[in-house]
Amino acid sequence: MPFIINPYIIIKRSYINSVYIFTMKRLSDLEYLKLNKWKAFWYNVALFICSIPNFLLKGLRAIWKLIKNIGIGIKNEFVDIGSTFIKGNWAVKLSYIIFGLGNIYYGQVMRGIFFFLFEVIFIGYMLVPSGGLYWLGKSNLFQVGQTVGTVGPRKEVVSGLLGKTEITIYGDDSVKVLLYALLTVFFMVAFLYTWRLQVKQCRICMDITAKGKKVRSGKEDMKSLLDDQFHKTLLSLPLAGILIFTVLPIIYMILVAFTSYDAAHDGYSNLFSWVGLENFNALFDFGYGGLGLAFGEILSWTLMWSFFATFSNYFLGMLVAIMINKKGIKIKKFWRTVLVMTIAIPQFVSLLYVSHLFDSSGIIGKLLGQIPFISNYLNANHFISLWDSPVVAKILLIVINIWVGIPYIMLMATGILMNIPQDLYESARIDGASSYQQFTKITLPYMLFVTGPYLLTSFVGNLNNFNVIYLLSGGNPLNTDIGVAGGASVGHTDLLVTWLFKMTFGSTESKYYMASIIGILVFLVVAILSLIVYNVIPSTKNEEDYK
Amino acid sequence: MRKNKDNKIRKRGLGAKASRNLGNTIIYIILILITLVWLFPFFGILLESFKVETRMQTSYLWPQKFGFDNYIRLFKETDFLVWFKNTAIMGVATSILQTIFILSMSYVLSRLRFKGRKALMNFMLILGMFPGFLTMILIYKVFYDFGLTANMAPLGLIIVYCASSGMGYYVSKGFFDTIPKSLDEAARVDGATRFQVFYKVIMPLSKPIVIYTILMGFMAPWGDFMMASYLIHENSQGMNVAVGMFEWLSRANMNLNYTMFCAAGVIVAIPVVAVFLALQKYYVEGVTGGAVKG
Amino acid sequence: MASVKLTNVKKIYGKDTVAVQDFNLDIADKEFIVFVGPSGCGKSTTLRMIAGLEDISAGTVEIDGVVVNDLQPRDRDIAMVFQNYALYPHLTVFENMAFSLRLKNVPNDIVYEKVTQAAEILGITDYLTRKPRALSGGQRQRVAIGRAMVRDSKVFLMDEPLSNLDAKLRNQMRAEIILLRQKIDTTFIYVTHDQTEAMTLGDRIVIMKDGFIQQVGTPTEVFDMPLNLFVAEFIGAPKMNTFKTNLVCEGGKYYVTPYGSKIEVTGKKAEMLKSKGITSGEIILGVRPEHFVLSNASNPGAIPCKIVVNEMMGSELHLHVLEENGDRLIVRIPTVSLDDDQRNMLTYGHTIYVTFEGKVMHFFDKDTEQNLLI
Repeated sequence: MPFIINPYIIIKRSYINSVYIFTMKRLSDLEYLKLNKWKAFWYNVALFICSIPNFLLKGLRAIWKLIKNIGIGIKNEFVDIGSTFIKGNWAVKLSYIIFGLGNIYYGQVMRGIFFFLFEVIFIGYMLVPSGGLYWLGKSNLFQVGQTVGTVGPRKEVVSGLLGKTEITIYGDDSVKVLLYALLTVFFMVAFLYTWRLQVKQCRICMDITAKGKKVRSGKEDMKSLLDDQFHKTLLSLPLAGILIFTVLPIIYMILVAFTSYDAAHDGYSNLFSWVGLENFNALFDFGYGGLGLAFGEILSWTLMWSFFATFSNYFLGMLVAIMINKKGIKIKKFWRTVLVMTIAIPQFVSLLYVSHLFDSSGIIGKLLGQIPFISNYLNANHFISLWDSPVVAKILLIVINIWVGIPYIMLMATGILMNIPQDLYESARIDGASSYQQFTKITLPYMLFVTGPYLLTSFVGNLNNFNVIYLLSGGNPLNTDIGVAGGASVGHTDLLVTWLFKMTFGSTESKYYMASIIGILVFLVVAILSLIVYNVIPSTKNEEDYK
Repeated sequence: MRKNKDNKIRKRGLGAKASRNLGNTIIYIILILITLVWLFPFFGILLESFKVETRMQTSYLWPQKFGFDNYIRLFKETDFLVWFKNTAIMGVATSILQTIFILSMSYVLSRLRFKGRKALMNFMLILGMFPGFLTMILIYKVFYDFGLTANMAPLGLIIVYCASSGMGYYVSKGFFDTIPKSLDEAARVDGATRFQVFYKVIMPLSKPIVIYTILMGFMAPWGDFMMASYLIHENSQGMNVAVGMFEWLSRANMNLNYTMFCAAGVIVAIPVVAVFLALQKYYVEGVTGGAVKG
Repeated sequence: MASVKLTNVKKIYGKDTVAVQDFNLDIADKEFIVFVGPSGCGKSTTLRMIAGLEDISAGTVEIDGVVVNDLQPRDRDIAMVFQNYALYPHLTVFENMAFSLRLKNVPNDIVYEKVTQAAEILGITDYLTRKPRALSGGQRQRVAIGRAMVRDSKVFLMDEPLSNLDAKLRNQMRAEIILLRQKIDTTFIYVTHDQTEAMTLGDRIVIMKDGFIQQVGTPTEVFDMPLNLFVAEFIGAPKMNTFKTNLVCEGGKYYVTPYGSKIEVTGKKAEMLKSKGITSGEIILGVRPEHFVLSNASNPGAIPCKIVVNEMMGSELHLHVLEENGDRLIVRIPTVSLDDDQRNMLTYGHTIYVTFEGKVMHFFDKDTEQNLLI
């Protein structure tokens, strides 16, 4: 039986394999323009619903294309490597084993020497005692059940002047073993890349000399670093920093998710070991103190917080900006400076102070406590201060965050408002738009378009807004329905990031592997959210449009 | 008939003016309220810091007795001066290093075209989705071995703040994006290398964003609690102001230190606010020029 | 001062978006060459490839006999004027013009001499200490040109330098560029979308469309002998009227029969048709608006049409007329010879008869749109 929810969607039951099929009545552009507001709305809803399968299909296709391209890329690499070897002369062929020989042969002595030195250092590092191979062996990479590091601490009885004492002799430190093993893997990847790089350069040199041109000399190489290779010069420092202080630790933390690293297995007084996917089981524990339960609870509050914090700031900030910038309002600069002052004062000072204002003994807390409605509520639930009530605490956080956030948005909105061409408003006024209509039809769409990416970043920023939550409520009040999960007590106002902080820093158990799992989950949440948003908002697609 | 219509228009005209006046009055009232709400904490902290009669939190605002006791105690009895010095050093160092990192990154991504540029940007976008704080677990371990924690934590923190700061290139890239591309091209035709384009053409035009970046770098250490508390680990000589002062307000200490906390807050706020207000113009230009495009 | 040679130059964006297709051109030393075409035809891209601002996907560009494909812009010894002037906002006019010399560490007295000399020629001496934002559009344009002048480079490139100016200023600057050219005798490559600029400035004109060169020739050549329908319609304002009609060959004489009339082809065109051995058939006929003349109904060559728009330009009258089949033609009539009665007749709604002479037509193949006489 055909079933219609929406006049434009028709769901039919196929008689061949009794599967329901969506179809949609498509309208031409002119037919669409004829629809009234409601019909147009339903039509768009229908379009949206029917585009979902296509969207998913497109995603799958994109992934397939990516895989295919990677495959083709790898194939091309091998073909290139092979053909270079066949076509190359003795120097090129030898440089497959001895780095940089091809470069030196073609006159790029400096590059050649660098390549060669790199090879020597790499081989040296791998082979020396307690070098690369040693650490790789010790780490037992991914061997479930094995410890990271092979020699544990042992107790030894030493007889000294004061008689016999027992001392501990420490063996390996798992943390270091894993780190060195990881560094060795990094080094190996770099080695492989360098090998490929110098083979490729041999190829380029071959091609250039075949055409009868000269290859670049070392001096020209140095010069080009300030010209057509200038990006390499500028990027080297920041990228090295990111590689060492972000990429390496993140990969390390992902590895930790597969180990038993925590305070009890801290690596040197007790080696930790590889446990495989076992840690992830905890995610499916939805009982009291279960990680799954806690994660779900905290995630939902985190998302809610992010949503309210982002949009309340956004709209109110915009409103304030419009008020300050309205024609006829005087001392604009003063109003702006007042708000900007809040940015200048370190957050921990103002936030801690404000947090205490709302305490039972604080000025505002006391004042509010005298209102019968509020005091009755607090007494009935045995709450001492406003912060003890989960609901009130959450509302307070959002309200205080408005105080924190409005100045930023106000500044940004001011800049954008000034950029909106004035004749748009003049034309709208001549067309008969009221000031409210001018806002909804001109200001808002323009703002939303320009600030689309900003909204996303600020949403993500709020997901990880440690300062506001930790300094105001500290994640409290405690959530007694969950108790302690992942080695840290769970509060009603905890965000994922404050929970993580407590897990690793604030608790004695320090379940690093749990933190690592939560970190991976946070990443997934943010990635999925961003992916969706980036596909929806229009302003991300035209990076070059503004130039 | 005619006259009637004229009257109507005139009446409406008057009405518009009156309603605009009314509207402006309402806006002024709202703005004054906003001013009060936004400035309340500042005056609150200031007044609290002069309270002599108590060290606790109180539910009244106006001190019964004014005095500098809290300030004197701050310098005599606590390590506040050390924390302040630590933070100031970190602020200066961070502002310099971070500016170099961020500007090179954003300049390259905005104005140079090379193979892998898009891939690099996507990579950093994805990298930014991990909670950056998790990296501290390993960094702490390594820094501990290098002696960059506890008393030496300020040095360690400078490295932490700056090393990965290249990932925060968005705002300044947005600013660079607004400078017309034909300026680079003209300079290159005129005989400039890309390096010369960078420091002879683009840098002189980017004063607002340079100052904005310096300002942000300077302010970061004053407010950071998360990273700092991790590396410092309750070691007074290495603390920054945030970590040091946070301890004063723990449940156990609060009744002894509340007014002193406020006094310290005032002192901390002075340099930051001073620098900030002096450079406010550039900050606003930076935000409005760059953040919009994010 | 140098020749420029482009051989099989191609520009491909991404995988298969072709911007410039197989571009071959020899530009002689001290020649003023103009690339002209509608937007997106690849003219600016070609110029930017010569300048080194775009990579060359295939083919070679030579300046003075040296292949410059892999050279940086600064090593090509070129000067360029940009459409939006691209003046450095933080430098004064003097420093803007001196920029390239400063990069080469030229001593200040030489810089001073060169810059003031250029400023003298361009009449901007009074503004040397100002910043660009304090200048008007025309003044900025002069500074941009001056900046290019002080370099004494081999080739002078200009990318739509006048398109940001208003009409009056544009005419003035156009004349000044002609004067400038006499003063700094070098090779010019000039890009524009405006056929008037192309016709008045160029020694030779390169007309482009969709990445292909349509025709290269002197202004007279491209005006009198357009290679194809596109060039014919692009060059000349108002644009040439074109319509499908029959070419009839009777007893050694050629006739065209537009809209029921019959007009004999005479003069050189008839000889060329004969020598090409072209016979009767359907063709596309092109007649420039100024070649129409008023006629009376009795003339066998008269085409009756109705006036829908009349544009009084002062010295001439542009009439948009509808022919009986509904085709729109543009007729351009000098006003000098018109008396008042005739002027009153040439207004909206009146029917007039127009015809044209036998020696001024252009013939195009109806399928390939190529000129039949070449």
